[in-house]
Amino acid sequence: MATRSTSESTLARLLPGDIDAEQALVHGGLVVSIFLMGLPLLLALIMSTQNTTEVYQITNVGIGSQGLSNYETVLGEYNFGQYMINSVVMSVIIVVGKVTLSLFAALALVYYRFPYERAVFMFILLTLLLPVPVRIVPLFDLMARLGWGNTLMAITGPYIASATAVFLFRQHFMSIPASLVENAHLDGVGPLKFLWEVLIPMSRGMIAGVSVITFIYAWNQYLWPLIIMSDQSKQVVQVGLRFLQAASQSGLTRWGIIMAGAVIALLPPLAVLIVMHRPLLKTLAIQQK
Amino acid sequence: MSDIHIDGLTKEFDDVTAVDDISFDVDSGEFLVLVGPSGCGKSTTLRMIAGLEDITSGELRIGERRVNELAPKERNIAMVFQNYALYPHMTSAENMKFGMKSVSDYTSEEINERVRKAADILDIPELLDRKPSELSGGERQRVAIGRAIVREPDVFLLDEPLSNLDAKLRVQMRAELLQLHRELDATTVYVTHDQTEAMTLGDRVAVLNDGQIEQVDPPQMLYDFPDTRFVAEFIGSPAMNIVPIDLAFGDGAVAHHESFELSLPNPELFTERPDSAYFGVRPEDVSLVDNVAGDPETFEAEVSVTEPLGESLLVHCLLGGDELHVKAEARTELDAGDTVELCVDEERLHVFDDAGDAIYHSSPRGETVSDAAETQVEP
Amino acid sequence: MPEFTKPYESRWQAFLLLLPTFAVLIAFLYYPGVETFRLSLQQTILLGTRKTFVGLENYATLATSSAYHWSFAISVAFAAVVVVGTLVASLFVAYLLFQVDVGSSTYLIAAIWPYALPTAVAASVLLFLLHPSLGIITYVLESLTGTSLDWFTNGPQAFAIVAVVAIWKQLGYNIIFMVASLNNIPETLTESAKLDGVGHLKMLYRVYVPLMSPTLVFLVVMNTIYAFFQTFPLVDLMTSGGPNEATNLLIFKLYRDAFEFSNLGLASAESVVLFAIVAILMYVQLRLSESYTTYA
Repeated sequence: MATRSTSESTLARLLPGDIDAEQALVHGGLVVSIFLMGLPLLLALIMSTQNTTEVYQITNVGIGSQGLSNYETVLGEYNFGQYMINSVVMSVIIVVGKVTLSLFAALALVYYRFPYERAVFMFILLTLLLPVPVRIVPLFDLMARLGWGNTLMAITGPYIASATAVFLFRQHFMSIPASLVENAHLDGVGPLKFLWEVLIPMSRGMIAGVSVITFIYAWNQYLWPLIIMSDQSKQVVQVGLRFLQAASQSGLTRWGIIMAGAVIALLPPLAVLIVMHRPLLKTLAIQQK
Repeated sequence: MSDIHIDGLTKEFDDVTAVDDISFDVDSGEFLVLVGPSGCGKSTTLRMIAGLEDITSGELRIGERRVNELAPKERNIAMVFQNYALYPHMTSAENMKFGMKSVSDYTSEEINERVRKAADILDIPELLDRKPSELSGGERQRVAIGRAIVREPDVFLLDEPLSNLDAKLRVQMRAELLQLHRELDATTVYVTHDQTEAMTLGDRVAVLNDGQIEQVDPPQMLYDFPDTRFVAEFIGSPAMNIVPIDLAFGDGAVAHHESFELSLPNPELFTERPDSAYFGVRPEDVSLVDNVAGDPETFEAEVSVTEPLGESLLVHCLLGGDELHVKAEARTELDAGDTVELCVDEERLHVFDDAGDAIYHSSPRGETVSDAAETQVEP
Repeated sequence: MPEFTKPYESRWQAFLLLLPTFAVLIAFLYYPGVETFRLSLQQTILLGTRKTFVGLENYATLATSSAYHWSFAISVAFAAVVVVGTLVASLFVAYLLFQVDVGSSTYLIAAIWPYALPTAVAASVLLFLLHPSLGIITYVLESLTGTSLDWFTNGPQAFAIVAVVAIWKQLGYNIIFMVASLNNIPETLTESAKLDGVGHLKMLYRVYVPLMSPTLVFLVVMNTIYAFFQTFPLVDLMTSGGPNEATNLLIFKLYRDAFEFSNLGLASAESVVLFAIVAILMYVQLRLSESYTTYA
């Protein structure tokens, strides 16, 4: 390249390939983008160690004097320990329930002969048109009539069946080679044995992926628990953040505590994402179809 | 072991008839090969025997039992699939055992004993604890066959079991399958699209085309006396030459073609006497005249292309508007444009009518034809 | 449909396997979904104790309510900003991830983590960091640009801030799909374009973006649904719909009409409007993905 200085082209010859400058730009761009995306979190982490006086010194972005005591305060005094347990219980029930129910439904859809198969599948898929806000008033009404207000059933029940999960398992089952199915057919292997010993072992990645998607989705629930759970002690951690803000509204807002709460409320799904990113990415790649 | 009786078997998918009223028997202990081009209905036939496809009409009996309505596991069959159908998360032994309990009430001791025995027969005891991903294609196929053997079925069904193997391994496995069949003496139905496989493996071969059976016969019979033009062209490689001719029947029978005239021996063997028909002769039954003793009827042709096959030379000749393939001695000096003098083996001539049915073979059917054995299959 | 004959025929078993899913879907999705339509034709008085049939009156109220018009308009504008902003920012990062030679898997995790970021967490964190008087980011922005940010009272600023947070949270999801889509592009295309000496930007817009279009359409639809339906925590925690209704998105207005003002009939009519929006989006997605598959 004519514009390139001599020293640069010498460097270019030392590095493998001739794409050094370009790759440096790419790396630079990525580092900057990722830094910007992560910056709010980094700052939240720092601020979560500051006391209120330090927070009010705007330009103070050093580690604060509180250490981890804001976390202790938020977990104990502000009841986040309880909220976290509630969120974990809710999310785990939704994950286990949804995976189980969807595996059963997909087993029926793919391996059973029955009339109106297509219609049954469409009936499941069409629920994609009914996100919570579309049915929120009658759903609230229904829960009240069932006496489910403030119960775990109210925040898990409506989520444990899902078009997406049934769709994903169905896709995956259909991609299992026909001869494996026929082999089991020839031996007269029963449906539950087939599910347990063939389908589930062969769907581990997909089950992991659906579990991650479901866990992150369940953990993120906010509007529905806010409405249906009026008993604060049974509330989930996302809504807990709202209580935190309201509680510290009088006088000087204790932002250090709020940041600590936010960090805690982020950790479980973030950990799940990092540990399970591989099955998650594979599963999402199928979801788009 | 059981025999299989198939009578008027038909399979219709929506508006397509995949198998159209076919009938044949497989004798107890026989190795029968179903061969035909893709889409001919051979796999569907096998799958109906297995019980993987419902039978639209006709009757299927295994032994004395009508099994049309029986679930696969009640038919006491075992099947080997083209892609092995091994469960990737199970070891070879687990694959062989899986489903055994569903088939019948074996104790796990019996099952283990059978797996050991099958592994010995197939020479794979050391593979039993490995998963399919740790096995080569040939080893996987052995395990798949082992799984079938363990069941000690009345009937073995094999669906293109060698198609996923490379050429060399295929030849080796073919020999081993024959060996195995001799040991087990099991009634076997084997599906393939490869006529070489069909010829080498089958006690008898059923040629299917378009959902119908063209011919069921022992391999040599199929080769020497094809019932139809389809069988004549499908079996044997390079394929039989077929050229249109006019027929004249006087004292004898004479075939007229624009570039040759040939009197056909044993005219009494003609089952019909049409004016025009198709003349068939295999490439190895045509020879260059220099190589033939005596004074046979000869004709001339122009060489268009030569293909050295190694052990022989395949010569493409122009016969007027038609092409004739001739298997000549290897290393014969010939170039495109050369004119050659040709003659045919009078004992090995065939005539087919317009509908494609054989109306004449120059030797009486059933007589052994002396020099056929060495040329029956491609190398 | 799979190309094997289905091994199981027992209808009652199939029914039993489908029963739990059906029971949940009917009880908690279809039944309330249908009820929404019925309730939207009613008016509730005295805290829901008495209901009267009012026909289309609730819809008429919505059609003539300037507050609802406003909420609708800013929700559409909000969705547009979030969709475009998310796509552009994600495409930039995804393209870099696609181009990078080493460390791509590490970079990938570092770039997709916002997928796990709960919306309420995003709202809490940025509410503080962008706080008009306490926020460090606000402070830096103000000193860099010399303007003063006061989104607690300035409507357009609040709108922009909420949109930025919405985009931030949605980046991970978009990057995941875009990287997958870019990695699906045959390498020979990239190589032949490189041999022709096509520049990066031109490659992106002339080669990659057109080839990614099925994914991009999918993301437009998913991001729009996100902007309409999943941004409630942002408004609730950051602005409560203000200032001056500047961030009173449909989802937030629905919540207030139903659960603060107990106007259940009106809120149900608003739900029906939201249903229409999802239905249209899903239909678009379905038609376009069909046309792509036939094209491919």
